[in-house]
Amino acid sequence: MKRFDPGLIIATLLLASFGLLAIFSSGGSYFFFRQLIFLPIAVGAAVAAIFVPRRILYGLAEPIYALTVLMLVAVLVAGTGPGSHRWFVLGPVYIQPSEFAKLATVLLLAKHLSYKRTIGLNFRDLTLPVAIAAVPSLLVMVEPDLSTSLIFAALLAAMLYWQGMRPLHILLLFSPALSFAAGFSLYTWIPFFLVLGIILLVRAGVTKALIGLGVSAAFGLLSPFVLSSLKDYQRARIMSFVAPWFDPHGISWNAIQSQIAIGSGRLIGKGFLQGTQKRLGFLPNRHTDFVFSSLGEELGLVGCLILLGLFYWLLRRMLIAARHSGDSTGSLLCVGFAAIIGYQMFVNIGMLLGILPITGITLPFLSYGGSSLLLNFILVGLVINVVSRPE
Amino acid sequence: MAARLTRLTQVLLLLLGILSARLVQLQLIQGARYARLSDRNRIRKMVLPAPRGRILDRNGVLLADTRPSFTVAVVPTELTDSALPLLARLIDIPEPDLRGQLQPVAMFASPVNVKRDVSIAEVARIEEASFRLPGVHVRVDPVRNYPGSNSYCHVIGHIGEVSKEELKRDTSLRQLDFIGRAGIEAQYESLLRGRDGSEYVEVDARGQEIGPLREKRPEPDVPGCDLIMTIDDRIQRLACELLEPYPRAAVVGMETRTGAIVCFVSKPDFDPNIFMTPIEAETWDSLISNPSKPFFNRAITAGYPIGSTMKPVVALGALRQGALTRYTRFQPCFGGFRYGNRTFKCTSAHGSLDLVGAIAQSCNTYFYQAGLRLGLDSLTAYAREVGLGRLTGIDMPGEKPGNIPTRAWLDSRYGKNKWGAGSVLNFAIGQGEVTATPLQMAVLYGAIGNGGRAVRPYLVARIDSAGRTIHTTVPEINQLPMRPEDLEVVKLGLERVVEYGTGTGARVGEISIAGKTGTAQNPPRPDHAWFIGYAPAEEPEVVFAVLVENAGHGGVVSAPIAGQLIRAYFSPAVEPQPEPDTAAAKPDTTPAATEAAPESSQLEPQDP
Repeated sequence: MKRFDPGLIIATLLLASFGLLAIFSSGGSYFFFRQLIFLPIAVGAAVAAIFVPRRILYGLAEPIYALTVLMLVAVLVAGTGPGSHRWFVLGPVYIQPSEFAKLATVLLLAKHLSYKRTIGLNFRDLTLPVAIAAVPSLLVMVEPDLSTSLIFAALLAAMLYWQGMRPLHILLLFSPALSFAAGFSLYTWIPFFLVLGIILLVRAGVTKALIGLGVSAAFGLLSPFVLSSLKDYQRARIMSFVAPWFDPHGISWNAIQSQIAIGSGRLIGKGFLQGTQKRLGFLPNRHTDFVFSSLGEELGLVGCLILLGLFYWLLRRMLIAARHSGDSTGSLLCVGFAAIIGYQMFVNIGMLLGILPITGITLPFLSYGGSSLLLNFILVGLVINVVSRPE
Repeated sequence: MAARLTRLTQVLLLLLGILSARLVQLQLIQGARYARLSDRNRIRKMVLPAPRGRILDRNGVLLADTRPSFTVAVVPTELTDSALPLLARLIDIPEPDLRGQLQPVAMFASPVNVKRDVSIAEVARIEEASFRLPGVHVRVDPVRNYPGSNSYCHVIGHIGEVSKEELKRDTSLRQLDFIGRAGIEAQYESLLRGRDGSEYVEVDARGQEIGPLREKRPEPDVPGCDLIMTIDDRIQRLACELLEPYPRAAVVGMETRTGAIVCFVSKPDFDPNIFMTPIEAETWDSLISNPSKPFFNRAITAGYPIGSTMKPVVALGALRQGALTRYTRFQPCFGGFRYGNRTFKCTSAHGSLDLVGAIAQSCNTYFYQAGLRLGLDSLTAYAREVGLGRLTGIDMPGEKPGNIPTRAWLDSRYGKNKWGAGSVLNFAIGQGEVTATPLQMAVLYGAIGNGGRAVRPYLVARIDSAGRTIHTTVPEINQLPMRPEDLEVVKLGLERVVEYGTGTGARVGEISIAGKTGTAQNPPRPDHAWFIGYAPAEEPEVVFAVLVENAGHGGVVSAPIAGQLIRAYFSPAVEPQPEPDTAAAKPDTTPAATEAAPESSQLEPQDP
């Protein structure tokens, strides 16, 4: 044991306990007990992750990645889900390949990026990392699950930054894609373009700025054409994500109900099991995606801030683990995992608070669901592995 | 690396800061308000019903619109135990029934309609007692109104309350909603219905509205589209007048070049407004038990034997095959024709006739022999090619194709070769199993008059949404296998029918009319009387198919009716509307709402 960090374990278990309470309160005993059964399995997987020799893990990075990509392809063909292809159903178990694709992508990216001393804005350095992240991202996007597919962009950005790429270059790297996404509407694209232009002119000089803006403009111009070639329902789905404030039906009913639930919790909440919103059936998916809403209602601002504090503690410990890791692959792993958990936390809570569009993304450690719980525990287990065991 | 750790931690803190700030805003700053909203969930979704589109005739005469009506609605979660019996008494619904209506939806804080079209007196009583009736509301709802003549009951159809199954299938429907059940109302349901809007209001503990919810903009309703029909109300009314003496009849008038239906009558008819209020058992029983089947749309769902109106088809088929020329004469007619050991009858002894004369005199003997020469297979194949036995494609649900009995059909019906060789003789004069609808015959004769160009008949000329035209129907034309030189002969024959033949009753003087009579045997009851005529005879603009059930001879009963209608159509009192603007739309445009509509009537349509 090189440098064992109990904080990681405590924060994780506290988050999972929070989750169990919230699931019991919002979903009832059936989901509570199912999640309770998943928990030891997840803990077991985490323990295995702590003790797996990292050299073997790194060696398996490519096969694991290939396998998850295959699963993502298969789920498109044979998967099920509400209006999409996200899950495999194996008897009583739902398997969500995108969960495992996140881990596999971080693993392969970490292995590949760790060989590099510096990362510049050039094809030699970036082609492979971008490809590694883009393949699962695109496959998840067509499921369709846009919010999950963006996780791959988030973790790629975080890992590139950790390995020394300049933030300005990261911005330039992502600007064509951002421009494309913003280009579906002039109201999003013009502000985006102005901000990008200012940043580039101040930080990168005129020539680079012009090139960057030119490429971005080209991609932004493409997107109206792509948009017009889509079917109506696809367009509606994209518009509701990219520009939810243009939703002609106003803010979604679910979002309002969620805000009412959270807001009505006030400072200290209505008390555990005392929430009223969920009991009347106003909250959909209340034990999965919307679990934070019932926490907010029953535990109030105090409970919510404690929860955010726990997330801060966990993520901060993961980043410190990255800082102190002896091997650079392990260090990158920790950063990529932190990016996954941080992204999901922000997007999930943000949507329930009404500042991000409603999408199907779970809150790590708290939302009901076996695949998700298992994966998140493995992530923490691997981080503990990196900090505590010599390579 | 330490710098990067610091920077990433800063990003993390920024994100958590954003979430915390929003939490403070929701839970502390606006917390009291949200707490109030969450108390029994004081938000109610109010439906803003979209007015159903109007239906107008080609000159703007109103045929269907909506009038206001009062509906009593209840929010189940707010209704107190003492209020329920009181309400039941006030609106005269047995208490258990009312309880049953509210039971399945008791979870929801949205109003449930419990009684529609309540009287002003009832409304007044409810308003008086409103303080003892929390959760009870009186709403003004639009109700369908059909101001036109009852003869529109089939073509426009009517609307009816949704069934439980339909509510399950289509989530956009609500309890006590009305949807199109027949005719245009059913065919264009999705366009006529529009989309209900909604408004979210905040209510207090007693269910009184405080005001609209700030967070949710109201979603305005989208009114249904107005349909401008091709029907001319003046002609329609005249047709009803002329059919007055006859209990069962059908008339279809159509512009031959476009397919625009000018009048569409099926008798007996009924008042479609009876469906808008709770229907009285007596009315319903009398409609249901009427042996003439008022719900039966005779113009498109009844396959009638077509009698002699079949003869021009036989003539055209035989001419095209070279089995006949206009000068062909067969064995002379001695009041019948001997085939095998049977005698097939004719109406009188016509002697020797050429083709034009045979059409004019409607000589069966001539057409028995023409049919024999053409042969059963060629005859039935040709009849199908010119549209008999096939749907015309009118924009109306429930159309039936009639029947052209082919060899295979006869085999399956009677057993292989168990049917007589004389069948072809019967078919050649439109008897036996040959059946068609009045609409099909109108389309067929329109094509004969117009160089073989068959049109797709249509009822809706234009669709307007919010005063803006969103669709104009463009005629669809289909060239039938009819040669111009053959048509010339047959058209001449049809002119002679009216000039001196069997259809002189159709003559109206200044307008040249051509047509064909038909007297279809319908044993044991009296014959059906057919006349199908178009005018002007040279280049027809309009065609009328008139069928009167069990009325006797077509030339006597139906031809005069067609003549009157044609005269009215051309009379200067009314200027024919300009034809739909063909340049404005693509030729393949068809009305958007041609989805399958529910079967129209409760009676099984069947041949009379």
